[in-house]
Amino acid sequence: MSDNDTPETETDGGTGIVPPDDETPTWSERKERTEGLSRLTYEYFERARREDQDLRQESSYVERDVLGFPAWPHEMIRNLALTSFFVGMIVFLSATLPPEMMPPANSSSTPAVILPDWYLYWSFGLLKLGPLNPDLALLGGSKLMADRTYGVLANLVIVGAITIVPFLNKGAARRPVEQPFWAAVGVFGVTFAFTVSVLSVKNLVPMDSHLLFDLTFLLPFVAGFIAYAILKSMREGYMFTLNRRYYRLRPPK
Amino acid sequence: MADEFAKGLGILTTSGLAWMVLAGWYFTPSFESNAQLITAAPPAQPTVWDQIGIFLTDVFLWFAILGALTFWIGVPLIEQAREAWANRSS
Repeated sequence: MSDNDTPETETDGGTGIVPPDDETPTWSERKERTEGLSRLTYEYFERARREDQDLRQESSYVERDVLGFPAWPHEMIRNLALTSFFVGMIVFLSATLPPEMMPPANSSSTPAVILPDWYLYWSFGLLKLGPLNPDLALLGGSKLMADRTYGVLANLVIVGAITIVPFLNKGAARRPVEQPFWAAVGVFGVTFAFTVSVLSVKNLVPMDSHLLFDLTFLLPFVAGFIAYAILKSMREGYMFTLNRRYYRLRPPK
Repeated sequence: MADEFAKGLGILTTSGLAWMVLAGWYFTPSFESNAQLITAAPPAQPTVWDQIGIFLTDVFLWFAILGALTFWIGVPLIEQAREAWANRSS
């Protein structure tokens, strides 16, 4: 990298994929990250980079072939270990704490509390945004649309926003540290999905329902701000050149 | 630092799983109905195995709590104190 007068042997097969040895931080760079979260971040990524480098050097494959490791045994052993663990956990729990088989549902009687499945609570919560439906002075204090229409419209807006996401340019960032703002937006979304799910079962939450309604929209902002602050402070310890050789394969648009 | 966290987490989850099973057997009268593995909890006339299980419930619970606290708070605290003491005396 530094001196061009010594002819370097081209070992990358013309692919432009270089081993990460030239990304090894200098001692002064190591000393800069001395404390707190930035040091922890730095140690984590430094260890990951070092393990990657060691695996590449131990491998009998030439460099251009080891961008990904062979499925056997590297990937398969890990996958089999994870699969065995979860299958074992299912067998263990079903043997020790067997679930009870309830009588079949009676279709002729409606239960007192009707709820969708838990993974649809967010949509059910969006139907309960009546207090946000503005009453217009122009219409003499009446609302432009019914609360239930408003709730369905809220669902359309959220689903529409999520549908657009794959068509946006995702940029060059590979980790949340590289784009703290968009990572914070993601944290906001996940937290809002959770809080609006809690709002949908507000009868079961031991809390003042007005306070719960306010928290539903406040907590996502709080979580987003915290995530942004944490990621900003992590940037100090992050190696931005870590992914450079991946960029050479899949350059960002 | 990360290793201490993993040790504490391992103790918490493993011991917590054992506690969950034993507490489900001996200290939960019903989840949804009375048809449990051990019918009436706690059993009126516990056998030796029941007594061992009832005894181990509390053991696992406190091992989970104290073990996690030891590795997440106790050990780092002692290490930092020793470090501070070494800096002070040098």
